[in-house]
Amino acid sequence: MKHYLSVGAILTLLLTGCAQKSVEIEGENGAIGSGDKTYTQEETITSTSTIDVTPIDSGVREIDLIDESQILAEGSAQNFDGVSSIYFDFDRFDVRVDMQSNIENNANLFKNEKNSAYTIKIEGNCDEWGTDEYNYALGLKRAKSIKDTLVTDGIDENRMVLVSYGESNPICADHTKDCWSQNRRVDFKLLP
Amino acid sequence: MRQLVLIIIFITHSFAIDATIEVVKKFSNIPIIAIEDGSIGVNSFHNSEEFYKLLIGDLKVSSHFRVHKSNLYMKSDFESTPKFIDYKNSNVDLLLKYRAFIDESHILIVETKLYDINSNILAYQKVYTSKKDEKYPFVAHKVSIDVNSYLKAPSIDWMQKFIVFAKYVNSKESEVIVADYTLSYQKTVVKGGLNIFPKWANSIQDELYYTSYLKRPTLFKLNIYTGKKEKIAESDGMLVCSDVSKDGNEILLTMAPSGQPDIYLFNTKTKKKKRVTKYSGIDVNGNFLDGSNRITFISDRLGYPNIFAKDIDKSGVEQLVYHGKNNNSCSAYENYIVYTSRESDNEFEPKTFNLYMISTKSDFIRRLTTIGLNQFPKFSEDGESILFIKQYKNESALGIIRLNYNKSYLFPLKVGKLQSIDW
Repeated sequence: MKHYLSVGAILTLLLTGCAQKSVEIEGENGAIGSGDKTYTQEETITSTSTIDVTPIDSGVREIDLIDESQILAEGSAQNFDGVSSIYFDFDRFDVRVDMQSNIENNANLFKNEKNSAYTIKIEGNCDEWGTDEYNYALGLKRAKSIKDTLVTDGIDENRMVLVSYGESNPICADHTKDCWSQNRRVDFKLLP
Repeated sequence: MRQLVLIIIFITHSFAIDATIEVVKKFSNIPIIAIEDGSIGVNSFHNSEEFYKLLIGDLKVSSHFRVHKSNLYMKSDFESTPKFIDYKNSNVDLLLKYRAFIDESHILIVETKLYDINSNILAYQKVYTSKKDEKYPFVAHKVSIDVNSYLKAPSIDWMQKFIVFAKYVNSKESEVIVADYTLSYQKTVVKGGLNIFPKWANSIQDELYYTSYLKRPTLFKLNIYTGKKEKIAESDGMLVCSDVSKDGNEILLTMAPSGQPDIYLFNTKTKKKKRVTKYSGIDVNGNFLDGSNRITFISDRLGYPNIFAKDIDKSGVEQLVYHGKNNNSCSAYENYIVYTSRESDNEFEPKTFNLYMISTKSDFIRRLTTIGLNQFPKFSEDGESILFIKQYKNESALGIIRLNYNKSYLFPLKVGKLQSIDW
């Protein structure tokens, strides 16, 4: 503490000493009127050797734009008729008991002969409460949980691909608990 | 006066050996600078007043100046002699005059004069140019950097750096945008589809990594000037470039080739990757720590997201944070880590994301924010500032915390919902 006090005292002295400016003002080279006051002009301004009037480019170059809209990911993905989305609790990726029957119904639809040639794309989604990478990982773990459950229900593991959309694919944009619960889900798409 | 500033800065930095310790510093003698806009005439720059505001913002954010009558827009004749007596009576130390106009070649010209009021001198005069007038924020930042350099104050060169961020524009659709640190200048560099997690590939900021959702999440390296795009990797599930080593030769990726998010080290020269974490839950957000042989990352191995560290070549994992039940994002600079902690209730309001900073070399925890949702923390390249996004009462702002000065500044955001940010 003593050390801090002495440094503080030195600093105070330094600051106090320097706070009083002792600039000499020469002559009266002309009074400049400003409002109801009259000021005395300064001595002639002197230049220093640091003057540099060479133009300085701000250094910002042109930037190109890449447009990815011609190669979108989902050109050929289709929705599954009759398939239900699976919903999750906040910050969880384990399958809820009340979602088991929906998963079984989905598994039966996936086994249907007319769907058997398709790959099943399992999309994990999250609400807006996560941040950054963790939310994308949480969405992926949800998709993985559903995939593992579908494997136990007899769906070929090689028919399924996983992707996480994090919080980028909300179906409800309100800032309510009900809305957030609708966004914590896994969707299914058909890929040829 | 420069000596005085140097003394103040020296003492400031002497106390700030460990940035996790908050030291309250009060300096009444920080130099006062006045700014005058001398842009008059038919070709004067139409954004001259915005230029003025940017200068005020820069000089305040530097924490090395106080701005004289910063709530006023001061105009004057660029060629006229300054009213030295007025300024001396107001304890003003420096006067910055500028004149901004568009010349016949449509080039933005900004002429500046810096007067040292105490020494009665014109300290310097400089002329800045920019071929695109929309880039005037970078000209303003360069002017501020030069004023700061005149005082030999600690560098604020980071103001000249780009920020890159992704913002959602629709469901499964986001754009990658390059901006100045105040977001006054913005340029979309990638659009169409879902393009996320942009990260600068090198310190000169001509290339960046980003993930594009094609058939599978795919990582690209993009040169923002030539448009050249190189595919780096692809993965099922998710793929993120989380951090880039200082020399740019190694990057940390979060990948999930079998539906399992883990952290991988990718050598950009040899194109070889190495799995760094092997946990059955979630491991994400790897950041180089203490050089590049060690990483910090987010894991849910305790049942909730928290901050951990491990050596790249060893299996042992160390828990770094022992408070909070939802610490889900982090950024590292050398031995310092800043992280977000979701707090359900505190004395200020019911739900918050706050920022905290720790060091691997001490046990201190420094709380950096108190209210609102504070997310996406990122250290500046010199480690002296932290960039973050604050949401509070339905308003969003980009925040900058100046660690050595205990100050933070907010710039209102008008860009929509951000996905991630890097600088």
